[in-house]
Amino acid sequence: MKHLWPILEHIWRDQRSALMRGAALMAVVLAMGAALLGLSGWFITAAAVAGLAGTGAMFDVFRPSALVRFLALGRAAARYGERLLTHDATLRALESLRLRVLAAYLASPHDRMLRVRGAQALSRLTADIDALDGLSLRLALPVLAGGVVLALALAAQWALTGPVLAMWIIGGYFLGALWVARRAARRMVPLSRRTEMAAQAFRARLIDMIRARNDLAIYGQLEVQRKAVQVAEDRRFALRNALNRAERQVGLMLALLATLVSAGTLALGLAAAQAGRLAPALGAMAFFAALALAEVVAPLRRALSDFGRMVDAARRVGRNLSSPPTIADGAPEGAVELVAQGLDLTRPGGQIPIIAGLSFALHPGETVALTGPSGSGKSTLLLAFAGLHKPVAGQILLGGVSIVKWPETALRSVLTLLPQRSALMAGTVAEALALSGTDSESDLWTALRAVQLEGVITAKGGLSARIGSRGAGLSGGEARRLALARALLRRPQVLLLDEPTEGLDDHTAPAVLAGIRSYLPQAAILIAAHRPAEINFADRIIGLK
Amino acid sequence: MKSARTSSQAWLAPGKKTGKRAALLSVLAGLLWIGQAGIVARALGALLQGGPVQPILAGLLFALLGAARAILNYWSETLAQTAADAVIRQARDAIVRAETGRTDDNPFGGAGAIAALAGEKLELLGPFLTRFGLARARVVVLPVTILALAFWLSWAAGVILLLAGPLIPVFMALIGLAAKEASARQMAEIGTLNDFLVERLSALVDIRLLGAGDRVMAGFAAQAGDLRARTMAVLRVAFLSSTVLELFAAIGVAMVAVFVGFSLLGALSFGTWGAPLSPEAGIFLLLLAPEFFQPLRDLAAAWHDKAAADAVLEEVAIHAADPGLSLPGQGARVPPLPGPSAVTLRGCRLPSGKTLPDITIQPGERVAVVGASGAGKTSLLRLVAGLTVLDQGEVHVAGQPLSDANADAWRARLGWMPQAPHFLTGSLRANLTLGRQGDLAHALGVAAATDVAQTLPRGLNTRLGETGGGLSGGEARRMTLARAILSSPDLILADEPTADLDPATAKLVTAGLLSEAARGATLIVATHDPELVAQLDRVIDLAAAG
Repeated sequence: MKHLWPILEHIWRDQRSALMRGAALMAVVLAMGAALLGLSGWFITAAAVAGLAGTGAMFDVFRPSALVRFLALGRAAARYGERLLTHDATLRALESLRLRVLAAYLASPHDRMLRVRGAQALSRLTADIDALDGLSLRLALPVLAGGVVLALALAAQWALTGPVLAMWIIGGYFLGALWVARRAARRMVPLSRRTEMAAQAFRARLIDMIRARNDLAIYGQLEVQRKAVQVAEDRRFALRNALNRAERQVGLMLALLATLVSAGTLALGLAAAQAGRLAPALGAMAFFAALALAEVVAPLRRALSDFGRMVDAARRVGRNLSSPPTIADGAPEGAVELVAQGLDLTRPGGQIPIIAGLSFALHPGETVALTGPSGSGKSTLLLAFAGLHKPVAGQILLGGVSIVKWPETALRSVLTLLPQRSALMAGTVAEALALSGTDSESDLWTALRAVQLEGVITAKGGLSARIGSRGAGLSGGEARRLALARALLRRPQVLLLDEPTEGLDDHTAPAVLAGIRSYLPQAAILIAAHRPAEINFADRIIGLK
Repeated sequence: MKSARTSSQAWLAPGKKTGKRAALLSVLAGLLWIGQAGIVARALGALLQGGPVQPILAGLLFALLGAARAILNYWSETLAQTAADAVIRQARDAIVRAETGRTDDNPFGGAGAIAALAGEKLELLGPFLTRFGLARARVVVLPVTILALAFWLSWAAGVILLLAGPLIPVFMALIGLAAKEASARQMAEIGTLNDFLVERLSALVDIRLLGAGDRVMAGFAAQAGDLRARTMAVLRVAFLSSTVLELFAAIGVAMVAVFVGFSLLGALSFGTWGAPLSPEAGIFLLLLAPEFFQPLRDLAAAWHDKAAADAVLEEVAIHAADPGLSLPGQGARVPPLPGPSAVTLRGCRLPSGKTLPDITIQPGERVAVVGASGAGKTSLLRLVAGLTVLDQGEVHVAGQPLSDANADAWRARLGWMPQAPHFLTGSLRANLTLGRQGDLAHALGVAAATDVAQTLPRGLNTRLGETGGGLSGGEARRMTLARAILSSPDLILADEPTADLDPATAKLVTAGLLSEAARGATLIVATHDPELVAQLDRVIDLAAAG
């Protein structure tokens, strides 16, 4: 439960009024349902009493029967409103949950950004968020509305039939539901967690088996892997079975609870009426209301069956929501020059330095190429310069100020990195470029011209041409250049490029590099260079080993 | 359309019998309510008419029948779950087996899509198989039974319920419409919002580097708000249909209640078969009326489970539609095939229609396979590795035709360097050994990968993620070489071993391959790299031959 609170708090803070409206209407529906059945029972019994006594003509039939019709129709109408409002509240809640997740990840360290980018991590995160979608609709709202209705019913029953029946019905439902919920939650939370782990294992092993099936076949491991998949599946199946059984048991318990409460009400009501302590019609009303109030506890089954999964998801998602801001404050001033002093770098997560004691300065207007074999740390160095990777020793100064002291916004407006792999989102070309914060069409075209994309984009239909998810519809080289144009539009004073001409042919590569320089004549450009075109383009070369 | 239906019936077959028993129990449980209603009606009727009333006995009987109903329901649900499990397990097993037995990619989709189908999507059959069948069985039996009872007690009450009867098909159409829309919106609404989120999460680094965080958040909020507005517009209509159903049910119950009330008062003198309606019968009718409509409402609630299940079954059928190229052998570990490691291809034609020249490669030879991309270099390597079944022609290895029976044994003698390896979730060590014995330090040394392994965060124990996380392209290539030579293979098949590598790394990989040849291994290398070609004994040009 402690994992769910923070998430509920987030949702509550963002969407208080929508949730209140939904809960209120849900309570109205439940209350009207109980009132309808209770009133009908009373009406029929009272009518029978009057009919038997021969005083039927004196009996006021119109108010109760009008009330029955009002409650019946009103309940259906209220139910419609309730469905709309609770779904609206749910949509709002899942929207704000996703916004918070996105915000938290945008402020997270680089390695975590990379980790969530993988297909499995993404599918897991979205599955977790999906699991939490039911938090308000299936758990919070029914519990809230149910509590309100039970309290109302307690007051009404007490007033109409006295304390014994009121306490029996409402106390019975309340304590019984509490007991069932506590017992089930205790069992289902760990079970859900283990089921989810087994499901992830099954998923990962199956994906491995499919992706690597040729390698596995050649090394005689395909059968072994298939068995590993089967083992994961068997475990998941056994756990899932236990979970389903626990859910069915909750259903059984709640059905038995409703039977017990109703049967007790029947016996107590009959006895009281027989002894003359209670009008028979009121006894019937109590019994019919007791039947109807089973609806209040019934949603618990669904809520509890999802409860464990929600807690498990909340544990992971909540951890990601509570990320502290990573950037400290400080004011940048003066011309910017990028300086490295005695820099030691490891790979992300590694211990052994791959770069040791590196010092150099990058001046405005100059182009420097970083060279070295793969694995020599070119990309890592660029990440460090962009403030995404912490050096083990030494420091990086930008405009004389340590890079860790630069505020995020100021840093990004001065320095831009084109990483080795950049992502394009689905949308139009203009939207992809507008991510840079510039959306004047002529500016966009100028940048496209600089990276030799003018013709390509014109042929595809101009700035409104659509790009698919992850850059689909563009070749590797085109996607690369579009990302480059986007970086240029930032007009940074320091531009860091990680293998910018990857995927371009020998004719295009030099033209693109020349375009970059003429677009940003004053910028300091540092290139992690990979091919001769990039090395030849530089004024100066720094070799890494 | 018909074939799609029969095939989905075939997938559902394993659960049929148990499902029927579950439905029977569910109907029995529903019928017990009639008994419970009878007990209540009799007790209240007796109370009103001054007859003998035994409160404890009435309560006890009501509780006993109620408990029996709850237990029958539980039992029915358990059976239904067993039936559902049989269906789900069989479909899942079929998917896993199909993926094990083929060597090409399923046109159905990538590994992630297949895993999603075999995992969470198949689970969607559960709610359908456990709820829908039971609800349908109850719809068939319970309303008719209750209607008969109502007519028996009072024709007017029967008529009121019967008036709702002809409306039932209308209800069902409405329900169908509502459910269709509801399930469509569920897919659209959450799916699209997740797509938005996934897209942005995949581009986090770019967004950060472009200082675009605020812009992206604002855009996301706007898109989500827009999506919500559109979803709610659909919902306002979709919910209307089920509201109509509830409204009719409510009117039906209220009319029964009012009719019974007026009759008991003596204000109405029609509607029964002679004698006036007794209080007992009136209360009985009131208790039964809601149950006349309840099965319909249950079925309506379960309807979108059916829509979801139909969609899943369709996907399962699509997945099964293309059996693909079957893998010769089992992919199991067996003792290596004896005999000299010569390879001969005669009159080979691939399933794609491509023909390969006749080729003989002697043990210890170092052969380069060249040709433009698409000429069949990779196909040739796969053929020798026993990963492709031929349309025509024969491959002889170690003096015998390569077949289903000896493929595993032949592959036990091979080293394999694919162009793009997929590392399994697990440690680097496990990925290199793949359960085999061998001198790992030596293999890493020959592949010039010792220092790569050392600089990884936890050395050989570093866990490799979904795409071999933490290894660059060149490093992954060297690891693949180390993996290939671990078991001192007699024949190494390498697909573009130096493509996309910087010159220094390319030299290291070439040297590793050549030192294996020096040990006596045969090399068959598909390559574009002229420097690598120059160091091999013989060139097979597929373009020239083809």
